Amino acid sequence: MTIDATMVGRSYTAAESYQVGREKIREFADAIGDPNPAYRGDDAVAPPTFAFVLSAPALDLLLADPELGLRLDRIVHGAQKFNYVRPIRVGDEVAATATITTVRKAGDVEVIMYETVLTSGDGEQLATSTATVSHNRADS
Amino acid sequence: MTTIEAGTELPPLTVTIRREDLVRYAGASGDFNPIHWNDRMAIALGLPGVIAHGMLTMASAARVVTDWLQNPADLVEYGVRFTKPVVVPDDDKGATVTFSAKVDKVVDGSAEIDITAIFGDEKVLGRARAVVRVS
Repeated sequence: MTIDATMVGRSYTAAESYQVGREKIREFADAIGDPNPAYRGDDAVAPPTFAFVLSAPALDLLLADPELGLRLDRIVHGAQKFNYVRPIRVGDEVAATATITTVRKAGDVEVIMYETVLTSGDGEQLATSTATVSHNRADS
Repeated sequence: MTTIEAGTELPPLTVTIRREDLVRYAGASGDFNPIHWNDRMAIALGLPGVIAHGMLTMASAARVVTDWLQNPADLVEYGVRFTKPVVVPDDDKGATVTFSAKVDKVVDGSAEIDITAIFGDEKVLGRARAVVRVS
């Protein structure tokens, strides 16, 4: 199958929430080389781009939708934007819902925009992640 | 913090990304796309070689702002376009990216900051912009 504009509006909600742990935040901060003390300890907050990691379980569902026929190894990230309500903290249980917002085609390349809303266990909105990806369907 | 006004330049940041950093980021982020660790697959997809995760470059660019802010909670909006790939060679030298940032305008308690990321002679991020709360 392939992806086209009729798939705009499809939503994917991760089956399980993501429990944000202190060590995961530290590991992520180390991986981006950021020594900021805000990202360490029991009261740590997550670095801003960690929001993308939290959107990944919903993206995985989008990638697994057989009607879209997407493959991770053919995807290149074109643009990314975040709107933050508050930082993600240790102990947050984060739910993610991704919605396809735009699909454009240029030959074998599909440009897909999707928006992921991150909410805490009690329904508080934490952040919105908007990603644009290019998917190349050409045989290589 | 000193006065924030249009034209204020933030302290720049230089980051070197090596293959091991891509492996570490892949593990920490869960993004195991092979274009970030496998030359064969990167080249098959038309890339010059293994490229850094755009999200890793974006994370480093954010540091210019969060280092300056001190409190990451003051970042309210942050967006970039990935305009050129950061090709990371399979050597010990890696790829060096230099980040700088400047306040574009201050309106109603918010500062809009433009961020520049240079790798070699080229900008690797386009329209990299952060909005932060300022008191």
